[in-house]
Amino acid sequence: MAYAYLFKYIIIGDTGVGKSCLLLQFTDKRFQPVHDLTIGVEFGARMITIDGKQIKLQIWDTAGQESFRSITRSYYRGAAGALLVYDITRRDTFNHLTTWLEDARQHSNSNMVIMLIGNKSDLESRREVKKEEGEAFAREHGLIFMETSAKTASNVEEAFINTAKEIYEKIQEGVFDINNEANGIKIGPQHPTTNSTLSSSQGGHQAGGGCC
Amino acid sequence: MSDSEMSHTADGSEEVHVVPDPPPAETPDNSSTPDNSTDVAPTRKARRRPESKPTAEPAVTPKEDKDPPKTSSDSTVSEGGWGYWGSWGKSLLSTATATVATVGQGLSQVIEKAETTLGIPSPTELSAQVEEEQRQQEPTGEGGGSPEGDRVGQDGSSAVGGAMGMLSSLTSVVQTTGKTVITGGLDALEFIGKKTMDVIAEGDPGFKKTKGLMNRNSTLSQVLREAKEREELQDAEKESSDGEKKVVAHYGMLFDEFQGLSHLEALELLSRESESKVKSVLTTLSGDELLQLREELEAIKDSFSMVEFDEEEVDERKDEDGGEFEKELTEALGGLEISAAAGKLSTACKEACSSIRDMSTPAEEEEEEDGSGMKKAHSVEDVHAAAIRSLAELTARSIELFHKLAEMILFSNGSADASVLSQLTVVLCKEVSLLSKKFTSCLTAAGSQDKGDVLNPLITGVFLEASNSASYIQDAFQLLMPILEISHIQRSAASPENRRR
Repeated sequence: MAYAYLFKYIIIGDTGVGKSCLLLQFTDKRFQPVHDLTIGVEFGARMITIDGKQIKLQIWDTAGQESFRSITRSYYRGAAGALLVYDITRRDTFNHLTTWLEDARQHSNSNMVIMLIGNKSDLESRREVKKEEGEAFAREHGLIFMETSAKTASNVEEAFINTAKEIYEKIQEGVFDINNEANGIKIGPQHPTTNSTLSSSQGGHQAGGGCC
Repeated sequence: MSDSEMSHTADGSEEVHVVPDPPPAETPDNSSTPDNSTDVAPTRKARRRPESKPTAEPAVTPKEDKDPPKTSSDSTVSEGGWGYWGSWGKSLLSTATATVATVGQGLSQVIEKAETTLGIPSPTELSAQVEEEQRQQEPTGEGGGSPEGDRVGQDGSSAVGGAMGMLSSLTSVVQTTGKTVITGGLDALEFIGKKTMDVIAEGDPGFKKTKGLMNRNSTLSQVLREAKEREELQDAEKESSDGEKKVVAHYGMLFDEFQGLSHLEALELLSRESESKVKSVLTTLSGDELLQLREELEAIKDSFSMVEFDEEEVDERKDEDGGEFEKELTEALGGLEISAAAGKLSTACKEACSSIRDMSTPAEEEEEEDGSGMKKAHSVEDVHAAAIRSLAELTARSIELFHKLAEMILFSNGSADASVLSQLTVVLCKEVSLLSKKFTSCLTAAGSQDKGDVLNPLITGVFLEASNSASYIQDAFQLLMPILEISHIQRSAASPENRRR
């Protein structure tokens, strides 16, 4: 239950590219071919382990519809990671990436790690966007890139976890100020606050196993 | 002043003012029983309680399959369930100024009230208990309470502190008076709980107005998250020190599991953004336009501040299956299109009702069969865990509903009347109160064999979380205000003829 860090993620991208399906596959390990339209934002959470540390991912799955855009923008704030998703079988979803990227950069903190995801890689026969195009876009804009399939679960774990690894590295490098919650990172319960609580209340405390 | 108070002054200057008049019993005890300072009496009693058998019968049967695996285990909560009173409850209380001054005042007021209204026979006995209670609580306020108090002080959330202090008076009152009254029946206890609220409100006029823990500097979700984290931490400590794993019914953790925290955070984001948009619109206007908009916004504000949440008498017999609640909810929503979230809320309520039914029946059967029944009666810990879980779920779903309402109002720019929203809030708070009453009835029935000091903290715990639940729901309601304001502005801008000029 206890975690070392909590990372806030947002999932963004055009409607119907499979954002909610990616989340469901990651949190519940299942695929639901027919999904209700997401209204505003929905949530998911999962614990992962990086470098021996428990990290809780709190994932905000936003609505892709254009009409929700003004609301969902409010949710970008305070995200440490973003999954920017397009559909490899629909060229238009790839073409809209620039707008999404501008939006994300404008409404979130500059250190936010962005993972570009070309989803539906199982539908090879209907592919409209080449993998190389995705890679090129990612290289050009400084994103991490992966093709995934929420249906077959291919690369889904990796996409979420690699994003977390990148954030974790940035923390180690001191890029993220983890004490500023606007960066989308919260420190877990067993960190500094504990010490101050324990040190100031002497004797008889249950904590610290075996001190008394 | 004693040493302990001096040191207290040193590390928490903000708290000093609330300990101006320490009860006579406090000073000697402080020095003689220093280890009290790190633990709350009820928690200790709870941990030492010998009867810790979890029952085989799951408390929340219908929920089981739907829930994540880890949560289902709280149906077998053992005496660990008590710890929550010392963790979540206390962490909230001690976050604030859980000081004697507040507690003492609340106590004496309520005792007075209880005496006059209920005619509780032995005031001397009561006051003796009050003194004892204060002696136990006093060190908590000074030792355990001050570090948290400091932190909150730094966050600049003194308002939160005030509200928390009131909660702490409420609980100690219920706890103390409960001891005497419990034999007289649950009704009396409920009555005191309700009266306590009135008394506290009388004692602090600001309480009625704000009615919650909201403070712009330290958001509600922050407070909740901190409390939840402390629970998690204490669980971890317990695991390592006891060497055994116990699942404890923690309100805050359950609330988070039902995504209550996330929805609250999202609602806060929307609310804050709307608020700043309203402000920036106001700066662009001048003259008559500004005056008129100010007036209109004032009207919206008024409809939020004038809401009276005091519950009417709720009939316990009513609404056995949650169907009544669903009807009222639908009525209150008055055609607002958020069926999904409302559906979840109704389901949560129905599940709570069915778990109450479930827990009431076998206990009776057993009595009839004189203990030879197949089913084992539900333990008080089971009932308590189910109660906390239901309250946490209902509250999380309520917050979700408010969040979805906010999104819908912003999205459709439809006119949502503040009165509809306040009616909704009343319905939700009423349901929380009704559920807590049903659960405490269940608790009393299940714990008829237990002693008062076993049962009372559990009952107090349920009432405490119910009152917290109601506060969160009301705070979420308040978060909707800037959203209605900006929605009003945008509608006026879209159709200028709406503005009577």
